[in-house]
Amino acid sequence: MDAASRPAVVIDNGTGYTKVGYAGNVEPSFVLPTVAAINESFLNQSDGKNTGNYLAQYNAGIMADLDFFIGDEALSLYRSSGIYSLSYPIQHSKVTNWDTMEKFWQQCIYNYLSCDPEDHYFLLTESPSSSPEDREYMGEIMFETFDVPGLYIAVQPVLAISAGCSTDKPQMTGVVVDIGDGATHVVPVVDGYVIGSSIKSFPVSGNDVTQFVSQLLRERGELIPPEDSLEIARKVKEMYCYTSSDIVKEYKKHDKKPDKYIKQWSGVKPMTGVPFSFDIGYERFLGPEVFFHPEIYMDDYDTSLSDVIDMCVQSAPIDTRRGLYKNVVLSGGSTMFKGFQKRLQTNLKKTVDDRLAASNARLGADVKSNPVEVNVVSHPVQRFAVWFGGSVVGSLPEFYESCHTKEDYDEYGASICRTSPIFKGMY
Amino acid sequence: MKLNLSKLPSDEEQRQALLVKIASVREVVLGAPLRFVLKNLTTKTVAPEMDQLIALVHRPKESFFLVPQAEKVTVVYPMRFQDSTDIVLATSFLQELVEARRSAGLNNAPSCMWSSSPPLELKGAPAQALTANAGFVTFVISPRHVEGKKLDRTVWSLLTFHAYVSYHVKCSEGFMHTRMRRRVESLIQALDRAKSESEKSKKLVSGNSLKRLSLNDARSNSNS
Repeated sequence: MDAASRPAVVIDNGTGYTKVGYAGNVEPSFVLPTVAAINESFLNQSDGKNTGNYLAQYNAGIMADLDFFIGDEALSLYRSSGIYSLSYPIQHSKVTNWDTMEKFWQQCIYNYLSCDPEDHYFLLTESPSSSPEDREYMGEIMFETFDVPGLYIAVQPVLAISAGCSTDKPQMTGVVVDIGDGATHVVPVVDGYVIGSSIKSFPVSGNDVTQFVSQLLRERGELIPPEDSLEIARKVKEMYCYTSSDIVKEYKKHDKKPDKYIKQWSGVKPMTGVPFSFDIGYERFLGPEVFFHPEIYMDDYDTSLSDVIDMCVQSAPIDTRRGLYKNVVLSGGSTMFKGFQKRLQTNLKKTVDDRLAASNARLGADVKSNPVEVNVVSHPVQRFAVWFGGSVVGSLPEFYESCHTKEDYDEYGASICRTSPIFKGMY
Repeated sequence: MKLNLSKLPSDEEQRQALLVKIASVREVVLGAPLRFVLKNLTTKTVAPEMDQLIALVHRPKESFFLVPQAEKVTVVYPMRFQDSTDIVLATSFLQELVEARRSAGLNNAPSCMWSSSPPLELKGAPAQALTANAGFVTFVISPRHVEGKKLDRTVWSLLTFHAYVSYHVKCSEGFMHTRMRRRVESLIQALDRAKSESEKSKKLVSGNSLKRLSLNDARSNSNS
């Protein structure tokens, strides 16, 4: 059995979480936080200061390269023992620390998937804002260290669109709103190709919402142990936050019926073991409100997400705009708030309708333009839309031909990975 | 092989045990002859109908060899790797393995030897099986390694030996890359110190990708 008859391995590396699994599956086999805990004690050896504990340093030197953990194990080990330091290889959806990234992939492949990289084709994902050098580096690591037979580096928004809202034939034209932990991008895709010049980024992402929630809780004076405040804020955000349709009405609703809306959170302080509890009130809807009114969180940015999407579509070629409005696809964990899709659709439709009404008024009564259909689509696999799209692409028979192969790598070098067929344009 | 998932036992521990059994099907099937030979070792007999040299397939198109005798079993692995760096790393890894065997505390482990030419036990093997670009590893298993519980562990270790070596070779490659990157960073720092002030400020303006490019250039030069 050679590699082309085995399922491909799909790895979606995001700022917050990495989704790992085999193509052809419905959901990823493993979802782990993109973090590694590394034992740094061996790094000081080369300085020549090794006087006392020679044996420990010798041992640390021998097994040091294998002494690290990733994902949830890393987080728990970091809390329990002091010799490990945490390292986040991906910041704002770009890889900043390639060392840690290589170690992370090594553990993913060998410890979690337990597969032999020489037997499977690989599908990796990258953000739309990554540079050709990043792709080259990625290809270099995969081909040199792991000897993979073939590699395909996919752009995340295109995979999100191929995840498909309709089961029979996915529409390959649409705007992908990908809100992850580290970065938010609004990317127009037409017939499977990204319109690079119209990509817009939005400075608020999942991490910012978490920070905002924890800030609100702190300002109100709730007693939360400081070392856990971000963790707790994240859990609060995932469990209780929702998107409202109108803030003023929400405030009134909360004030009128506090028992229905205000939730209790109880936990145990890790250091002392003392149980504590606090109320969660306005944060529930103020958190996701940051996407529509960023000025409540950051000082210098006040364009709402629906306006950014509108600007993005208006900057795309004029004949594609109807198709783009008709298919606004949400992907990423931070789009899972209840009511998010409806609110975005209402706001976006209002912007578009206002513009149409203004232009109709200018042109006079006899010329009327067709109303533009605005559709924000959400579907059950939204959280792993990118991974799911990767699984779909990896199971297509054409996938194996479109990969960069090891033979090409040996022949031409890492530069074959620089170009991505997605950005080349139509031909 | 078809699995009926609705019949999985509901108890978590039993389910885990069953899943481990299913996952080791390949090991059990391929390892049956090995187990048979090692079992005979415990009784210090040699089954009369067996040949002197047995070949066991453990990877697609690759096999390793057993020479069963009354008081010991010799296992010979021809090690083959596809990538040139893999071959070099595997060779030094295996030589280190032999050296490590000599250290104190491992006297009870099976004795282990490495040679780059086919050892004498493989005289009768077909020539195609005798090409190995990372040498031949020989283990000598004696009865005390296969008594009772140790039989399972010995069989498992012997069957997954190639995977074990391959894993460590890949990790070593990753580690080499770490050290190469650190060295390149320190060299670039030395280079930056030599730049004049105006050049440095221009470098900052052009941003991250140019820095990456210079790092990549240095790396590709050191690789080729």
